[in-house]
Amino acid sequence: MRAEEKRGAVGRSIPRLEGRAKVTGRAEYVHNLRLPGMLYGKIARSTIAHGRIKRIDVAAAQAVEGVHRVVTGADIRALIPDPHYGPAFHDQPILALDKVRYAGEPVAVVLASDPHVAEEAAGLVDVQYEALPAVYDEVEAMTSKAIVHEVLKPAGTFPDLKHFQGRKNTNVALDFRLRRGDAEAALKKADRVFEHTFRTQQVLHVPLEPFVSAAEPGDGTLTIHTASQSPSFVRTEIARLLEWPESKVRVKVPYLGGGFGAKLYIKLEALVAALALLVRRPVKISLTMEEQFYTLTKHAATLRIKSGVAKDGRVTARLCEVWWNGGAYADIGPRITQKSGFTAPGPYDIEHVHIDSYALYTNLPPAGALRGFGIPQLVWAYEGHTDMIARELKMDPVEFRRKNILRDGRPQATGTVMQDAAIDKVLERVAARMDWGKPFDRGSGTVRRGRGVVIGFKAVIAPTTSVAIVNLYADGSCALYCSTVDMGQGSDTAMAQIVAEILGIPIESITVVHPDTEVTPYDMATLGSRSTYHMGNAVRRAAEDARDKLLALAREVGVSVETTPIAEVFRRKYGMQAGNIIGSGSFIPTYMPMDHDTGQTANATPFWMVGATGAEVEVDTETGRVRVTRLVNVADVGTPINPAIVESQLSGAAIMQLGFTMSEKMEFSAGQCTNASLAQYKIPGLLDVPEGMENEAVDAEQKGGPFGAKGVGETGTFGVSPAIANAIDDAVGVRLTSLPLTAEAVYRALRAKQGNPLKD
Amino acid sequence: MTPFELLEPRTLREAAALLASGDATVRPFAGGTAVMLMMKMGVLRPTRLVSLRAVEKQYSGIGAGADGALRIGAMATLSALERSPVIRNEAPVIARTLRTLSNVRVRNVATVGGHLAHADPHMDLPPVLIALGASVTTVDAAGGRTIPLEKLYSGYLETSLGRGELIAEVSVPRQAPRRAAYLKCTTRSADDWPALGVAVVLDTLRETEGAAVREARIVISAATDTPTRLAKAEAVLRGARVDDAVLQRAGDAAASEASVIGDAHGSAAYKRELLRVYLARAVRAALAGEG
Repeated sequence: MRAEEKRGAVGRSIPRLEGRAKVTGRAEYVHNLRLPGMLYGKIARSTIAHGRIKRIDVAAAQAVEGVHRVVTGADIRALIPDPHYGPAFHDQPILALDKVRYAGEPVAVVLASDPHVAEEAAGLVDVQYEALPAVYDEVEAMTSKAIVHEVLKPAGTFPDLKHFQGRKNTNVALDFRLRRGDAEAALKKADRVFEHTFRTQQVLHVPLEPFVSAAEPGDGTLTIHTASQSPSFVRTEIARLLEWPESKVRVKVPYLGGGFGAKLYIKLEALVAALALLVRRPVKISLTMEEQFYTLTKHAATLRIKSGVAKDGRVTARLCEVWWNGGAYADIGPRITQKSGFTAPGPYDIEHVHIDSYALYTNLPPAGALRGFGIPQLVWAYEGHTDMIARELKMDPVEFRRKNILRDGRPQATGTVMQDAAIDKVLERVAARMDWGKPFDRGSGTVRRGRGVVIGFKAVIAPTTSVAIVNLYADGSCALYCSTVDMGQGSDTAMAQIVAEILGIPIESITVVHPDTEVTPYDMATLGSRSTYHMGNAVRRAAEDARDKLLALAREVGVSVETTPIAEVFRRKYGMQAGNIIGSGSFIPTYMPMDHDTGQTANATPFWMVGATGAEVEVDTETGRVRVTRLVNVADVGTPINPAIVESQLSGAAIMQLGFTMSEKMEFSAGQCTNASLAQYKIPGLLDVPEGMENEAVDAEQKGGPFGAKGVGETGTFGVSPAIANAIDDAVGVRLTSLPLTAEAVYRALRAKQGNPLKD
Repeated sequence: MTPFELLEPRTLREAAALLASGDATVRPFAGGTAVMLMMKMGVLRPTRLVSLRAVEKQYSGIGAGADGALRIGAMATLSALERSPVIRNEAPVIARTLRTLSNVRVRNVATVGGHLAHADPHMDLPPVLIALGASVTTVDAAGGRTIPLEKLYSGYLETSLGRGELIAEVSVPRQAPRRAAYLKCTTRSADDWPALGVAVVLDTLRETEGAAVREARIVISAATDTPTRLAKAEAVLRGARVDDAVLQRAGDAAASEASVIGDAHGSAAYKRELLRVYLARAVRAALAGEG
């Protein structure tokens, strides 16, 4: 029997369950939602980066015909005495209170039945500020006199943030440290020492569906319809703010038009909840594409990395310092600082490692998770550094990596012993696909060609919980209740495949019930490539539970499920088509917290993601323009549940990171974003996608993963930026250490190399 | 975006009359691609938009006279122009330029008249049409006039068109036997606004490279406030046999005479370097018949 004809569903490239609904415009999104009596909210935003609010005059806005009400922070505080939210720190006010901390921060909301009226009036809200000194640079923020938050207020969720409680006069929101061996001493003994500093820029997720939330008050209840990646967190946090039981807050999430880490935790949900309760009517806020620039971004970072290398090319010591520019509110930045920070030395076997990783507050739009959770920033530094060392040592960069990579059974910087991380295999496959050992056409004239190979890795965030319910109906069809959000990554299809595989039923007979906290069970969130592994395991267990109950039922009525249709088993039991079988499953992996002073733990993560990128480029030496002609993405994703979806996840992630590498950058003037629109902030289009785009999942298995699978959503992002920078260096001998790799940056570097720098 | 009134007159003259009041909040609306963006950003808040979509069909026509001169109705869409066999035969440089002008969604609705009247220096057709020697005919209450396109632009987003004066038609002398090319340079994504556009139209004595240039028209866009003819660079090429040295001199002349402005697409210094490179490449492309 050919593989496609097997009954089994796992391992097959089954087309997306929702594909037809999406391309025919029938899929449900919050933007399409209209509730009876609904008011639209439009946000008036801060025009300065840091300042005290002296006065808010809403009279002109209130006077616009059709305006229902203008709401400020003071109104919110009357309803919720401490209206601050956030996953790591309770630092973000629902509307600005007393002061503003970034240009674009919500200060007031105008409510009206007509969104155009609300928008018109929002422009008339008059706010007077007393400007305060501001800080924008993450390294300056370490010592700046400008302090973003007077007092730090950890959320209490994370033990490693407790010591920040009540801390004053600091912009540091986490100071993660890892100490393994004695890096300082080892550096002194090393034959060669290399030190480089790298920078990354602030960029944006740009989901094509901007943020949108609606809240509907009931009789002592509240229903929130929201484009969120974390419905369970939204319910918990709203219930906490309102001091209500969780059972009185209902959060519903249909499809998302992209999330990428932006739509996590609280975004508009607390605001619409408070507004709806204030006016006792449903309230909806739909951001414009432009407003997304003032909501959540990806951390800019400065990364200093220093290595000691022995004569034979072994890296013996590494010292990493990372400063993460978290913007005005911490969001999940402190977790990035730690959970990604501990991989800062890269997938290398290094005896002596010191890491200092700092989460900083600045007066810029907040930064949080973005497809890779800090990993692309780290890989940008350590893989640039790796190539620069190899070049200095006159070693082949792939050979240099071979000599130093971390292999299964060896301890990572945390002390956790590596398992099921196909680092060597991924490196070998990308080198093979790039024909690394063979001669390479280096171009001629004004077009020079080069290539680069890099490798990166990530530990999935831990420990997190997923719960799933499988409801087997009396006709043999079935519903899967799970709070994983399908935001385009194909989770509905993958989860249904797991159920189909275990119950042996056609995938078409399975309905995936979308997140609704009153219906679907808890899930930590759809983030960090965790769903396939965590929810996949919960779904597998729920389906196995249902199967076991079905087998028991069959035994009870004296039939075999091998020969009897499921519907017949139910009929035998209930005398007609009636009844349900409910299977449930939950999953939390094992984990051991890190030692606070050394970052050491025997169990840092349930699984590692490994991604390598190979890039070939053409550089126009007269203009500095770079054309990426080939991009090869190789990953260890365990055993794919759905190979076609895995491939599109790898290529989609790589194209997204290609934009962050070549063109995307939020520009600021005095803290004000000056290119807050898609006309001025350029994401890649089809013509920017390299002609040669190759994706491969290596043959691998993740033990403990459902059917050997693990996460894939972020892996394609890891290596794109340094692979291209390394290829540019290979082509024309210039090294860029800041992103993006614009033509002008390359051109200026070429001129500087010729001893004839471009004068402004 | 605030509510506004939308009028849809049946004739161009009627439309001009509706715009003649001098009220700056009453604006014409053709494809709407630029107007809508400005309204969304809040920089344009019209009380009334006068749609030109229902005006006489003649203003959407594309044709050539016996001499090959093109007459393009202002309401012709950029897609219609792109697909027109007349354009491809008589002015292939226009058809080639349109292929990479913005994207197909914009080209399907944006009109030639709106494209020219918007006076955004990042637009692709103004430098090409100026280099070809195009002129526009307008309609207003007094009847109308003909203006060389070169004289239309007075500043960033500013033209010499009066209130109530609308472009009705564009006349473009046939391209042949002149050789033409337009090259643009985008520095962020491929579909970005250009950092620089260079249009070159050459009248040559012979067909091969190294041929003497009888007459040259060079117009740049995007890097300057308005589409700008580069007289000094043209003078270098005039009468010259094109070789590396001539192109270098032409590039130097261009870089020194153009008032290049730095912006998010690149610094002024960088764009001047781009200008040297792209000018040479555009001349070579024109001579090679590739533009």
